[in-house]
Amino acid sequence: MAGYILIQALNGLTIGIIYAVIAAGLTVIFSILKIVNFAHGELYMMGGYFSYFAISLFGIPPLLAVIVAMLVSFALAVLVERTLLTPLYSPTTERKGDYGILITFGISIFLRNIALIIFGPYPLRPPSFFSGALIAGPLIMTWDRVFAGGAGIAMLIALVWFMNNTPWGEALNAVSQSRESAAIVGIDDQRFYMLAFGLGGALAGGAGALVGPMYSLSPSMGLIPDTQAFAIVILGGMGSVAGSIIAGLLIGVSESMFVALFPDPSRSLTYAQAFSLVILMIVLLVRPTGLFGRVHTSME
Amino acid sequence: MRALSWCGGLALVVAILAFPFLVNAYWLSVGVLAMFYAIVAASWALLAGYAGQFSFGHMAFVSLGAYTSGLLVKWFGIPVPLGMIAGVAICAAVGSGVGFVGLRMRGPYLALFTVAFSEVLRIVFVSEVEITGGSGGLEVSPLFHTRSDLPYYYLGVILLAASLAVMLALVASRWGLFFRAIRENEDAAAAGGVKVMRFRVLAFAIASAFAGLGGGYFGHYIGILTPDIGSVDQMGLVVAMAVIGGAESIIAATIGALGLEFLVEALRSYGQWRLVLFGALLLLTMRFARNGLLALAWDQVRRVDRMRTGKAAREVAE
Amino acid sequence: MMPVPPAAATACLIEARGLTKRFGGIIAVNALEFAVHPGELVGLIGPNGSGKTTTINMLTGHSKPASGEIYVRGRRADGLAASAFAALHVGRTFQITQLFSRMSVLENMLVPGLARPHSTRSAVTHAARQHLEFLGLAALEKLQAKNLSGGQQKLLELGRALMLDPDILFLDEPFAGVNPFLRDEIIVLVQKLHAQGRTFVIVDHDIQALQRLVLRLAVMSRGQKIADGPVAEVRENQEVLRAYAGI
Repeated sequence: MAGYILIQALNGLTIGIIYAVIAAGLTVIFSILKIVNFAHGELYMMGGYFSYFAISLFGIPPLLAVIVAMLVSFALAVLVERTLLTPLYSPTTERKGDYGILITFGISIFLRNIALIIFGPYPLRPPSFFSGALIAGPLIMTWDRVFAGGAGIAMLIALVWFMNNTPWGEALNAVSQSRESAAIVGIDDQRFYMLAFGLGGALAGGAGALVGPMYSLSPSMGLIPDTQAFAIVILGGMGSVAGSIIAGLLIGVSESMFVALFPDPSRSLTYAQAFSLVILMIVLLVRPTGLFGRVHTSME
Repeated sequence: MRALSWCGGLALVVAILAFPFLVNAYWLSVGVLAMFYAIVAASWALLAGYAGQFSFGHMAFVSLGAYTSGLLVKWFGIPVPLGMIAGVAICAAVGSGVGFVGLRMRGPYLALFTVAFSEVLRIVFVSEVEITGGSGGLEVSPLFHTRSDLPYYYLGVILLAASLAVMLALVASRWGLFFRAIRENEDAAAAGGVKVMRFRVLAFAIASAFAGLGGGYFGHYIGILTPDIGSVDQMGLVVAMAVIGGAESIIAATIGALGLEFLVEALRSYGQWRLVLFGALLLLTMRFARNGLLALAWDQVRRVDRMRTGKAAREVAE
Repeated sequence: MMPVPPAAATACLIEARGLTKRFGGIIAVNALEFAVHPGELVGLIGPNGSGKTTTINMLTGHSKPASGEIYVRGRRADGLAASAFAALHVGRTFQITQLFSRMSVLENMLVPGLARPHSTRSAVTHAARQHLEFLGLAALEKLQAKNLSGGQQKLLELGRALMLDPDILFLDEPFAGVNPFLRDEIIVLVQKLHAQGRTFVIVDHDIQALQRLVLRLAVMSRGQKIADGPVAEVRENQEVLRAYAGI
């Protein structure tokens, strides 16, 4: 039994890291564009499919496919941003908040339906990155899962490094703190919105690519991780990648534990989805000021 | 101009009333669904567009109303209209609850919360198979014991008309002013003595009640009720209907719903692509014609009219 | 100067005792004692960040005090919602003009009027038009509020507060960013309203304008009230001069 719990906990950790990556992307988008991106889960979903098709159509090796998926997700996100999100920065747009909600909700519906057409409604299972599993004592974990966790951590580290050590990243930080002061210093705002949304999309897409072999792909796979990501950002992220990670691990582990310990096995899977939604609802109730309680994005 | 809108309105009313005699049975059933979606889209427009409370949980109340009515009729044998009323009452109560709980949240957080709420409810309906029949469906007693959709259609027209009458009366009243004030600026509304909390909850209660009404109507028509009606995709469809029509006008949202529902069926041969099309239409409308296509069309008509009267005035001057 | 009714020695219109507000670790308002009597015209000044707007927010229900009490006409009012303060005939304007942008000028006026119990549409519309006439906005009745000029918007906001039939009006920086012509107009309007018997507490940085208007000046610095009395006295107060020299 202890072994089972341990395995579930470790699975939870892995999925928590994935959630943290998604949440980090969400945070970048929030802090720069100041919107709640309802389409984030769909960018995650598309990344998963991009990776799958990179492997099956172009024969790209699985590890490289993740990178490809991230790049294509970046491009998709930038395309979405350029065509649909520019009114958010225009002074003539009224009620930007409402616009942000409706347009990203619309984008999520649109992407989900496109995916349904192109990929079909049935779940797809991408091939494993690695075959076999890591066995250490009572612990069994597929190499895919280990890889996903490791790659997720690598993505987070890369993000932090980018934000702190490159001119683009630091400028992103500056813009996130205050759009007005960034404009005074002479930074071209528009490209940063592109970069921010693209980066957020790339992180989401990368997470989706990592998750594919573990949990399979479907057009509606984005909803639950998206919800988790929101809960994470509100709970612990607030612009802090370290906070995202901790909150992500917490939520990932508790979700795993919930599934493992839920008394009624026939319902445990469906109610597991509800669990994450309830977490979000509770978080929103407890911290209603949510994401904009702190404007500054500091990457620790 | 006045004459044009009166003519247009009259033509629409006549078309709606005469509709069943102009089309075959298939399109009549589409008409029934169109009435359903119109009630749901109009009430969503009231809540989100008019009162400014963005809720993506509206379909949850549709399904709640449907399941409540269906189950009460099934278990206790009460007449269907009574079941529908009970559904409306439950939705008003739960809607108030959601509204109350959502008071601390603004804008996108309220939207997030209502999405989560909607999905949780859908999951409960899917999971509790013994009670609801889950994804296999729940058998719901029909409203009318005929094979024809005719009575359903006219009932739908009556329900829609009644719902619109109530909503429009609300909008014209001082309550309508308060809703708009809250939408425009909550702090200024509060400083002006408007009991913001009370009216936000009220907006939720009223809109959810109408959603429940639509749900009951739908359930007792469709005969087999599944949790899908409360899905995010259905919500997306309703949002598209309202926004494309014009989210801040109840009439525009109604027309949007009627139009889009017929379009959905007219394009049936395109299968899944229809929904992609609607998604694209929604995005384009938001991006380029934020007040909805009806407002856009109206503006164009007005512009043409002004040019005409301008030309006439100039001709007179000469 | 218009004749001013003598401030009643006993009945306070609005009173703050030990009012405190914290934001995170910062104490924005520190144990404030402040009383306003019917018929007064009080100026509230102080450097930026001294807690003036926070004080007004608490005294109008837009912000909950961390501790302390507020009395309106002798009855406890702290903790009440902003709409409750409005119902108690406490009106206010905001630092950044807060209007119902996409509603017409008349509708902006109707909202607070119709929010009052036992109000009828016709009576409220009539009163609204009278106030608009008084403010010189009558011709703009049908315009959307967002299409008014900045100065007109400020006047409309004042009008909206007047619809509450307020006994006391808190004006938060009415002269901010306002041209001299409009400033004079606002001063005249306030004086006329004051002569009608309304009480005013005005926060602003334009001390010249305030001196033409008010008889009593209260000064805040870093959350504390450092002076409160007749204008001439306060002007000489060393602490006040020091506080302002720091700007």
